[in-house]
Amino acid sequence: METVGFLLDGIFTSLQWFNLVLLIFGCLIGLFVGAMPGLGSVNGVAILIPITFIIPPTAAIIFLAAVYYGAMYGGAISSVMLGIPGASTAVATVFDGRPLAVKGEAMTALTAAAVGSFVGGTVSVILFTLFAPPLAEVALRFNAPETFALMVMAFATFVGLGGDDVPKTIFSILIGLALSTIGLDLITGKPRLIFFNIPGFLHGINFLVLAIGIYGIGEMLWTLEETKGKVQMSKLSVNMKEVGRAFGALKKTIMAMNIGSFLGFFVGILPAAGATPASLMSYGITKQLSKNSKEFGEGVPAGVVAPECANNSASTGSMLPMLTLGIPGSPTTAILLGGMILWGLTPGPLLFTQEPEFVWGLIGSLYIANFFTLVLNIALIPAFLMVLRIPFAILAPVIFVLCVTGGYAPTQSLHDVWLMLLFGIAGYILRKLDYPVAPAVLSIVLGPLAEKALRQSLILSDGSMGIFFDISEKPIAAVIMYIAIVLLIMPAFGPLYRRFYKKKQTA
Amino acid sequence: MSIIKKLALVVVSLSLVAVSSVSSAKPFSPKKPVELIIPAGQGGGADEIARLVQGVIEKNDYASKPVIPINKSGGSGGEAMTYVKKKAGDEHTLIITLNNVLTTPVNQPELGIDFFNDFTPLARLITDTFLVWIATEGKNTAGVETFDDFIDLAKGNGLVMGGTGSMSEDELLLGMMRGQFGFDAKYVPYSGGGAVAKGLVGGESDFTLNNPSEQMGFYQSGDSKALVMMTPERNPAFPEVPSSYELGYPDLEYYMMRAFMAPAGIDAEVEKYYTGLLHTVYHDDEFQTFNIDDGKLMSWLEGFGLKDFLAIEYEKHGEIIKNFN
Repeated sequence: METVGFLLDGIFTSLQWFNLVLLIFGCLIGLFVGAMPGLGSVNGVAILIPITFIIPPTAAIIFLAAVYYGAMYGGAISSVMLGIPGASTAVATVFDGRPLAVKGEAMTALTAAAVGSFVGGTVSVILFTLFAPPLAEVALRFNAPETFALMVMAFATFVGLGGDDVPKTIFSILIGLALSTIGLDLITGKPRLIFFNIPGFLHGINFLVLAIGIYGIGEMLWTLEETKGKVQMSKLSVNMKEVGRAFGALKKTIMAMNIGSFLGFFVGILPAAGATPASLMSYGITKQLSKNSKEFGEGVPAGVVAPECANNSASTGSMLPMLTLGIPGSPTTAILLGGMILWGLTPGPLLFTQEPEFVWGLIGSLYIANFFTLVLNIALIPAFLMVLRIPFAILAPVIFVLCVTGGYAPTQSLHDVWLMLLFGIAGYILRKLDYPVAPAVLSIVLGPLAEKALRQSLILSDGSMGIFFDISEKPIAAVIMYIAIVLLIMPAFGPLYRRFYKKKQTA
Repeated sequence: MSIIKKLALVVVSLSLVAVSSVSSAKPFSPKKPVELIIPAGQGGGADEIARLVQGVIEKNDYASKPVIPINKSGGSGGEAMTYVKKKAGDEHTLIITLNNVLTTPVNQPELGIDFFNDFTPLARLITDTFLVWIATEGKNTAGVETFDDFIDLAKGNGLVMGGTGSMSEDELLLGMMRGQFGFDAKYVPYSGGGAVAKGLVGGESDFTLNNPSEQMGFYQSGDSKALVMMTPERNPAFPEVPSSYELGYPDLEYYMMRAFMAPAGIDAEVEKYYTGLLHTVYHDDEFQTFNIDDGKLMSWLEGFGLKDFLAIEYEKHGEIIKNFN
């Protein structure tokens, strides 16, 4: 087995003391940037790139990949503890992570996040090791019609996301879609929906601005009302019994781990998608297929495992098109790609044969980085739990400051801070009126991807929708499309079916 | 008071004025980090150069304060240009250009950007070239060996071209070729040159007009090949690819300029400082090697030469847009 030899070389490369120190250091920086709202792996890697010009390329990629990786773990921490998504990839983690923490099961949530991340990261790196070249071929054949079909499938799973109130869910999806059309039109290049000619709308509505507003600010207002500024949780103990209970809860999340690992990896290898859509789709599909899907959103460990598993898996997956095709699978890999070019490497089909030390050093380091981040995370849980012992009157202003910096950081414009505050208030009101907000957040992420793929496909087919349903011409797109339609119809008919069934029984 | 004393007083006060004016003319250097605005997304050609410039400055300590690249990609560069326009007189902001600085003010008059008065051009460092690329195993372009083969094929059939977005450089270029060679193609926009290259090799499009660096990986692996480079001479990075002049199409010449500008209304001292800094970067060995290997043309231009060049290019692009519409 040639691969095993290469992999062992890679693991030894990343265990050299210089590389190992950089790796652990990178994981810690990643945890920090992931946990800080507004600082995500994209900013972390972009800020650190200049430092890497003074070290060898292999050490540089190991360091930056560790930062990328650590950030996937770190994002969960603030999502669970503060209800603010620490990074865009951790938005779905808020859905169930925060309710778990509020119920007093923060320990379970954090353990689920760490273990889920570890499983996703490990499964994906094994897939990467074994199947990199054939998977690169799949990514190459996955074009606009296939991407659109996949997006339709993702949207189909959302309808089930908001609970039983289908009209309110559809309303939420449409709000998200409408917001996602603001900005530059991809095809005509013309600005769309630039309200009052404010230039800040030209870059569109940044998805993090919406997510931090709705979850961070909205959640803060909600908790202030609930706790009246008192301590949220007082009896938090960390002992072996608690730890055992937290791990015990993971038994029920095997399905979430499977979905998260495989779906995450697959979405990750598709160009331009990345870890954020992967985590959201994984959450939606896990919920849809789960037996107790009604409990999702109220705090179930599987709801934390699904997105966390998927975002780590996707971040590994997105390195595949970066290395083999020279195209980024996520915004962070776009920056890594720039880095590789500056280090004097040409990403592309020849990289594996021309620079085996670099490629396998990176792959080997992913195994090691996974292990270290898991250990670091579990070890630091007691420290993270301290946050919940702080009275909310003190915590609220801290959360507010973090939200404002988080809204400002991605685009460095005050415009986005105002928008975020607006979304925060809107999110609070929607929550009072019992509207689900998660579907809106999901559609603002996937909306632009879906629109682009749809319009590219329709240009190719001269406007015919047949391009998505032609089994002989585009088999992958057609199969995904049919599955999506079934998924879409299922929840709509579910209640009807049950009602009909009940009537028959009582009759 | 005697006349001598009065004179002495005047001399003293004059010399004081002189001293103070000398001290105020001390050369400029940045007092805080310098924002380098990129009017395009992360991972593209302009982004790559901006981050290379940042890296070279950082590594060699060419500047007293760091340079921080910030992507403002909205509105075909409109967002970035509006931002720089508002920063008039700011001594810590720079912008790297794509050709969209020449086209967006014309295409989006509602932004109110005056190309000639809202910016202070500093220097042009590089010009990037364009090539016609096809996939080596393209199903619709099988048997195409030369650029003339390609034109013949394209005239008869509606080929699909992958490009980097509406009214971007490559779509304008397609418009130019439509006029010159009498063929049209279906234009499918992607997000960035990398995705365009992948669409070509993946069989979704039939040809692209990418910059060298965007297609380099697939070129080296033999998955895609270039038919012509739109320059007067061959490029050492692509020795077997003919130039458009060689093939007898001197009108097929087009470049992407990578220049740097500051906001309007900055002092001459500040202008001199940044031009000098860019000049140091330009002559850095690493910067030179990187760009030459990438098939780019090193083409330093500053001062009046640069202003003339920009005026000519602005007019030329106005013409291209008019013909395109």
